[in-house]
Amino acid sequence: MSAIKPVLTKGIGELNLRDLEVYRSEGGYVQFERALKELTPAAVLDMTTRSGLRGRGGAGFPTGKKWSFLPNDGRPRYMVCNCDEAEPGTFKDHMLLEETPHQVLEGILLGAYGIGSHHAFIYIRGEFRRGYEIFRAALDQARAAGYVGSNLFGTGYDLELTIHRGAGAYICGEETALLNSLEGKRGEPRLKPPFPALQGLYQMPTVVNNVETLASLPHILRNGPEWFAQVGPERSPGYKIVSISGHVKRPGNYEVALGTSMRTLIDECAGGMRDGRKFMAVQPGGASSACLFEEHLDLSYDFDTIAKAGSMIGSGAMVVFDDTTDFVKAAHAVVRFFAHESCGQCTPCREGGNWISRTLTRILDGRGVPSDIEVLKSAGHQMTGLNLCALGDSVEPFLASVLHRFEDQFRAYVTAPQAAVA
Amino acid sequence: MTMASEVHLKIDGIAVTVPTGTLLVEAAKQAQKHIPVYCYHEKLGPAGLCRVCLVEVEGMPKLQIGCNTVATEGMVVHTQNAKVDDGRRAILEFLLLNHPLDCPICDKGGECDLQDYVMAYGQDSSRVIDGKESKPKAVDLGPTIVLDEERCIVCQRCVRFDELITHERSLVVKDRGAHDIIATATDQPYVSQFSGNVTELCPVGALTSKTYRFLSRKWDNHRAVGSCAQCSVGCGINVDVRQGAITRTMSIPEDVTSDGWLCDRGRYVISFGDDQRRLRTPLYRHREQLVQVTWDDAIGLWAQALQASASPQRVAALGGGRLMNAEILQLQALFRSFGTPHLDWRVGRSQQAGAGRATASLAELDRAQAIIVVGVPPSQSAPVLDLAIRKAVFRHKAQLISVGPFGAGSSVPQQRAARIDEVAGLLPDGTERIVFVWDGIDPQLGREIANLRTQWSTHGRSAGVLVATTLSNAWGAEALGMHPSFGPGYQPLASSGLDTAGIFAAGRAGELDVLSFHGANPVLTWHDASIVREALARIPFVVATDLFLTQTSELATLVLPVASAFERNGTMTNLFGQARPIEAGLPVPDGALSDSEVLVALAQALKIALPDAASLTSLEERALEAARIAPLDCGAEQLAGRRLAPDRPGLQLALAANVFAGGGTTAHDTRIEALRPLPTATLEPATAQRLGFVAGTLVDLHAGAASVKNLTLRLDASLAPDTIALVADLPQAPANLLFGSEPLRLEATRVLEEVAA
Amino acid sequence: MRKSLFNIAALLTGFRTTFGYFFAKQPTIAYPDVKKQHAPRFHGLHELRRYADGQERCIGCELCSIACPANAITVIGGENTPELRRSPGERGAASYEIDELRCIFCGMCEEACPTDAIVLTPRFEMADYRRSGFVYAKDRLLVPPEAGVGEAPNERPNGIPSDLGFVAKKKSTVDIQTGYSATHRGTILKTQRRGLAG
Repeated sequence: MSAIKPVLTKGIGELNLRDLEVYRSEGGYVQFERALKELTPAAVLDMTTRSGLRGRGGAGFPTGKKWSFLPNDGRPRYMVCNCDEAEPGTFKDHMLLEETPHQVLEGILLGAYGIGSHHAFIYIRGEFRRGYEIFRAALDQARAAGYVGSNLFGTGYDLELTIHRGAGAYICGEETALLNSLEGKRGEPRLKPPFPALQGLYQMPTVVNNVETLASLPHILRNGPEWFAQVGPERSPGYKIVSISGHVKRPGNYEVALGTSMRTLIDECAGGMRDGRKFMAVQPGGASSACLFEEHLDLSYDFDTIAKAGSMIGSGAMVVFDDTTDFVKAAHAVVRFFAHESCGQCTPCREGGNWISRTLTRILDGRGVPSDIEVLKSAGHQMTGLNLCALGDSVEPFLASVLHRFEDQFRAYVTAPQAAVA
Repeated sequence: MTMASEVHLKIDGIAVTVPTGTLLVEAAKQAQKHIPVYCYHEKLGPAGLCRVCLVEVEGMPKLQIGCNTVATEGMVVHTQNAKVDDGRRAILEFLLLNHPLDCPICDKGGECDLQDYVMAYGQDSSRVIDGKESKPKAVDLGPTIVLDEERCIVCQRCVRFDELITHERSLVVKDRGAHDIIATATDQPYVSQFSGNVTELCPVGALTSKTYRFLSRKWDNHRAVGSCAQCSVGCGINVDVRQGAITRTMSIPEDVTSDGWLCDRGRYVISFGDDQRRLRTPLYRHREQLVQVTWDDAIGLWAQALQASASPQRVAALGGGRLMNAEILQLQALFRSFGTPHLDWRVGRSQQAGAGRATASLAELDRAQAIIVVGVPPSQSAPVLDLAIRKAVFRHKAQLISVGPFGAGSSVPQQRAARIDEVAGLLPDGTERIVFVWDGIDPQLGREIANLRTQWSTHGRSAGVLVATTLSNAWGAEALGMHPSFGPGYQPLASSGLDTAGIFAAGRAGELDVLSFHGANPVLTWHDASIVREALARIPFVVATDLFLTQTSELATLVLPVASAFERNGTMTNLFGQARPIEAGLPVPDGALSDSEVLVALAQALKIALPDAASLTSLEERALEAARIAPLDCGAEQLAGRRLAPDRPGLQLALAANVFAGGGTTAHDTRIEALRPLPTATLEPATAQRLGFVAGTLVDLHAGAASVKNLTLRLDASLAPDTIALVADLPQAPANLLFGSEPLRLEATRVLEEVAA
Repeated sequence: MRKSLFNIAALLTGFRTTFGYFFAKQPTIAYPDVKKQHAPRFHGLHELRRYADGQERCIGCELCSIACPANAITVIGGENTPELRRSPGERGAASYEIDELRCIFCGMCEEACPTDAIVLTPRFEMADYRRSGFVYAKDRLLVPPEAGVGEAPNERPNGIPSDLGFVAKKKSTVDIQTGYSATHRGTILKTQRRGLAG
């Protein structure tokens, strides 16, 4: 176990944090009340900016900067919490929602106050039925306690929160697709520009933040932005929940300071590889990230270092592969997922993902031909960078990284198809 | 911060200056560079879906899409280089992965953007080993459209047209990813007045017209550029002809009047010209039978009848609303030279066509803050005008108010006013630019419009008027002298002749010897059928020039077959007062003559000199110019002074319009059978309940001895109470039989089983 | 006498050519009873082929028509319906005409054809008394169902067709006086037009 004191995950498994009183006894809603009574929204924004908090949803965009893009034109603003966690390998928001719903709620309320919004939304993935019920109960408690509604704490500030449940499309985790879905339209990403900060939900200035990002806000306010900023590397500071899965002894969510090495994460947090197995590769940021290998294990797990190594930490989902892995099958699973989840709007993602997926299916069926390797390489490459949203660009990284590293595995399928299948 | 109004950039080394906010795909046109596009369309804007419009912008690591990248100061853009070409090649390879490549049997073959761009940027061979995804082919999307899902490249132009232009939102994308298909939201057939436009918007052969299916290739067609003659808008059309038959009509994208769109009536009513029932020889009534005669005999008989008449006062001519401008001038010159003052174009319900200097322009309609539709909704008389109204309402936030028993079109948010004097109360303060769209039917309403205009002009409000009718050249007929009180250019005459009502009354009284109809069918379209029939029975010599034996021409003494609008050259005048060019796509069929030739022949027989072609042209120009500045207003006394409907106790009759009703071209085009309205009677639900009728009942409607039978009863909550609405001008159920003050009696004959069950 | 002998010799010399040919092998053939072997890749009269199940190969795509450098081919497409199924798929040829007087027998139509429907046979006998008799429509071009599939142009050994084709001595069923005119084609075109249906 890493030596840090848990922040976001504090009390999980020990206390019933779903109960308002328990959460309050742990210092809950104090910061929200303080913010409303003592701080201006600008001060909350300033603290967020100074904390160096970067988005925990995948792109790692500085949160304070995102908020500062909102135009000051008097139009209503909306805060939307993105709880459509659907990236294969990620399961942290799910846990936060179910275990500490009040922490998430307080984060959303603080975020909404920080951008001066009077109406916040939470978009909960359709499959999270239990999480939705828990969160709804928490919202009811909070509303009864006067944390949500009009004239909060007698300050005259109104803040309403609406829960929206998704219908189970991965693409709705993309912020503009989420906004479309929230508006009742087909969940398809919007053409950008205009960005949500200018024309978001119902064409109004909107901020979409991840659950974990918002849940960090009460702690930043409580301990001060400097406390947060001094944890981990300078440019990507703070605590992060890493969801470790795959061929490790103890898969699960682990809260660490950014900057911890991946070797520490795998060996100490997750208890190392399964017995007798050798580490082969790791996806540091969920299904859409490129694989890193043995030589990268000592790299610091933070946004910039991993990006420099050619991958990304995304939402913090480490998928670990050992030496029993058939990377052709792994690549097929990943590509098939993205091809299935493509909304079909733009050409490269709709057609390219499907093409690669079908090619891999055929290779696994033992009907591959040597030219397929070239197709996999070039089709993946030529569909990247041309898409309307990031989904289309997510097909290539894993495929390209394992194809580069384990080309022999792919070749084995296409040159001696029968043997490989057997 | 002020924004510069122009930015300077370099496209492929060529310096261009464009207004701020211009998209690269438009800016490139200035540099004479073409950026390929599928989903982008000038009138639909960028969608960013097809990704084929890739360009390289210096300083940006990735290729950018030209359709959604705004030109900025100092930008350096490359539309052609190895990187761009490779990006486009990649996109085209993706597009062809599941495209069936059935170009040989595709109607778009030869004019397909996918073919063209693959030839220009694509690779020459396929790397696909797996088969293609199969999707439904030859899907029957609606009455007019066939959809091939395999060919679809999901550019969503059709979906966006239905959302952004017609605002009907019936087309959607269903399923997702590689299984995307185009469908209607409700799974019902795609029915729209503008459905044909999607076949032109579709960059590939996914959406094609049923009427053009497998008929021709682009290179087989000879194209005539003209204007549509199906209503008073006069949209620009391309008429494609192969082997002497019209294969299709297409819009002209640059045409300002139509904004590049066509309605389905204009697009699909094209094959009446070679219908079996088309008249090919003059017919003369001999012993109660119409027999074939030669043209010489026909003209001779007509001239003889005219000369035998005791006085030119006993001669009258009606019609002209379907003729060319020059023909109208010849027509009125001929009869005025002969000495008859009884000329009138008004053979339908509309009593006025032009509003002189009160006429609004298209630009005024576009900029209007409020649009007030009075009477028949333009969606059923001049559909493309309705599209312009929708644009003003949705894009420029104009307020739409409809006056009368019918709404102005279902997909447009509007306020309803039962009476025109309620309109002023609905207009918010600060409404300065107003346009009335009037059907020209009730002169009383016209006068009220004129009164409002006068009142408002003192308050700084300006209100223009558009008179929308289905007659293609009603304006021209009125302004060029087919009027009892006016000569060409609304020149007042010393003494007025009889108007249409007067002519029929005189005919019934036995005071007329010769009456000629020029492209007119008053037995079906005049508000009272019985008076027309009685007049025709009493007038000894009735001439009708027409394409078919219509309800009127079958009662005539002499029927002369003439040319259709597709077979004539000339100009017509649309509701904005613009002269619209008509170009013949087909020759006049054997045995028929153009109206102009008929009139010239008659003039020769009567030894009357008609103006020559050059003087006709200058006369036409001068008269139209005078007409556009004529001090007229709606419902003006000298234009139309008659109240149409007499008082009737109890249930009131309202006449609804349908763009596919009528006894002429629409009734004689066998291919639009599915689009023609069925005979229906519509009641407001509460009224129906009070009278004890349910929807779906087959009813007969009686007024005195007259009756219209076999009407299917429908309910419509937007209709006024105590009103029964019938579709006007429907040959199988002519509502004008019921004109009069006799009370209406509704009688159920049968409840249709499927509705009852 | 000597002079006359000399004359006889001259006569014989002269007649040697004549009599030589008298007994030589005849270069002419008794056409039409005997037929000459055509050159291997000789291009003659067209025929329209069928599939093994008897359906027409021609899909009415007009590619032959646009490929034709002499503008000799006129095709009018038509829709296959369950009642009238000409060819597999959606589209077939409602009318197919080749004006053999315009044709330059270049074979471009054969190359353009995506379904190997139009094939040039070695048959060259097309005599007629009237020009209109040289406009061959489907009634004469289309092989009878019993003709089988035939060889595709690219399947012929050394480019040599193995038979003369099946467009034999069929008589045109089209009225030559009125047929094949533009009006007639327009009539065919008009009959192919489809109505709008709900």
